[in-house]
Amino acid sequence: MNLWLTFRLSLSRIAAAKVRSALTMLGVIIGVSAVVALTAVGQGAEQGIDSSLASLGANQIIVSATSPTGLDENDAAAIAEIEGVLKTSTEVRTQGTIAYGSESINASIIGVSPTYEDLGNPDVAIGSFLPTSPGLQNSRTIVISARGADRLEFTTASIGDEVRVNGLAFTVVGVLDDADGFGSGVNVYITQEAARSLFSKSPYLSVIRIQAESQEAVPPVEYRVESFLRFSKNVQDDDDATFSIFNQAALQDTIRTVTGTLGILITGIAGISLVVGGIGIMNIMLVSVRERTREIGVRRAIGARQSQILTQFLMEAVVLSTLGGLIGLTIGQLASYGFSILGGWEFFIDPTTVFLALGFSALVGIVFGVWPARTAAKLQPVDALRFE
Amino acid sequence: MQLTDVRREYQTGDVPTVALAGVSLKVQRGEFVAIVGPSGSGKSTLMNLIGCLDRPSAGTVTISDKDISTLDDNELTALRSRAIGFVFQQFQLLPLTSAVENVAAPLLYQGIRPREAHKRAAAMLTRLGLGERLDFDRGRLSGGQQQRVAISRALVTNPDLVLADEPTGALDTSSGAAVMEVFKEMNAEGRTIVLITHDLEVAATAKRRVYIRDGLIERDEADAMVSTP
Repeated sequence: MNLWLTFRLSLSRIAAAKVRSALTMLGVIIGVSAVVALTAVGQGAEQGIDSSLASLGANQIIVSATSPTGLDENDAAAIAEIEGVLKTSTEVRTQGTIAYGSESINASIIGVSPTYEDLGNPDVAIGSFLPTSPGLQNSRTIVISARGADRLEFTTASIGDEVRVNGLAFTVVGVLDDADGFGSGVNVYITQEAARSLFSKSPYLSVIRIQAESQEAVPPVEYRVESFLRFSKNVQDDDDATFSIFNQAALQDTIRTVTGTLGILITGIAGISLVVGGIGIMNIMLVSVRERTREIGVRRAIGARQSQILTQFLMEAVVLSTLGGLIGLTIGQLASYGFSILGGWEFFIDPTTVFLALGFSALVGIVFGVWPARTAAKLQPVDALRFE
Repeated sequence: MQLTDVRREYQTGDVPTVALAGVSLKVQRGEFVAIVGPSGSGKSTLMNLIGCLDRPSAGTVTISDKDISTLDDNELTALRSRAIGFVFQQFQLLPLTSAVENVAAPLLYQGIRPREAHKRAAAMLTRLGLGERLDFDRGRLSGGQQQRVAISRALVTNPDLVLADEPTGALDTSSGAAVMEVFKEMNAEGRTIVLITHDLEVAATAKRRVYIRDGLIERDEADAMVSTP
């Protein structure tokens, strides 16, 4: 009795009792599908966060003022001279209203230095970003984020139109694709000179972006920037700091720690549900051995060895659990496809997930199928035949 | 095949039941023997011992010059597989399995390739007049047909000995008679047949009748090796 025939026999046995087989597999199905879906959500979220972070630009350190007078232009000039710093850009931020036609919205107005385009990597959907030539820095031009454009009911023909920023006319030169990042606010970008002349006369800055020369240079640059700022602001302890430093790599590390913890949690759920599923399979296999005692007796009488009976029942348990794993995998992948549409991340089938899902469900079948299969194999032929 | 002073006792709860109280019996190659007795006489126990499905509590059972109490489970299985074919009262066809698959099963357990096993099973069924019903499962076969499938399954390994336990017990008279004809033919080919029955009419077909009662041989109409308790 070769394995292929034993396998086919198991399949026909499972097909002959569909409801019972489905109920038996349910534990494995739920376990595997939940884990596959959760893993995909975790990976998708991580991927989404990674790409958001990547859009911020590489090797960057962002210094934000934590008080209105936390950072100023002298700091920016000094930081630009620090060893390992490739480029800097600065931002001033204020809140205001933007009006277009009959629509009016609140927005963060960000006045950016000409170098911002290199560091902030704004993703321009229509038109262009703000002018970078020195002669045009006082022009009243504005770039609006996608969400702002949507709320102001822009059309593609709106490029070149005027909007009113706190009542003052600005010409729209571009619309961004997806520059709002997290949260639900609207960002609009104007030149820093325009911002200074209109809203913020002070030399203070909201944000200094720093690009280090290389990835390796990020930690030393961060250290030097922090030392310099602590010295120049005379910060004695952390509560006095007027600024905070944000390093993209550090944030990525934090996110990885969180997703790692999530991974352990998912593994735990997977383990518990597979054990529960396995016990279900063992239970049904024991019932099945009892119900089929006479069949086992006949098979022994016509020449089946103990090992052949063992193989038959073990195969049935493994086919049941693996089939459950396969169904669970399919449901899980369908669910993650749904999540990927909702979450807006890329759907992909991870071969590792497929391999692990099927591998572990097969393992469950072996582990929990051994005992019933041994029970079947150990039956004395004469007792099995006499069994009513 | 020889049984010498064979005893078999069972423990049912605290009460030991004596199924065979000391039976000696010798069957030569090519004989057609009916073991006749009422239910509870120990004839099924006798069949289990001859069929290598069970071991005696005392005494020796020798099949093809091998003492079965010295064999382990795998050796007993091998002996059954090679030398003995079983026919049961309730046919005992395997579930979810077609006629030809049932007959092929003993060959497959011997390790014969599926294609070859299938071919030999089909040939055996055709010989017994079931060539048209190879792919029928047991639900679509009459009792007589099922028993012919079971006989094919017993014969397909070409065993020396065919053991039949009440082969006509679940059949109507004409199907039963047809089945007995098959046994006669098999015996004519030189195969040893041991038939267990309580039906004297069926037993009359055999060339030798061994009457058993209360675990002892009462009478042996061929007068070979009469037992003494």
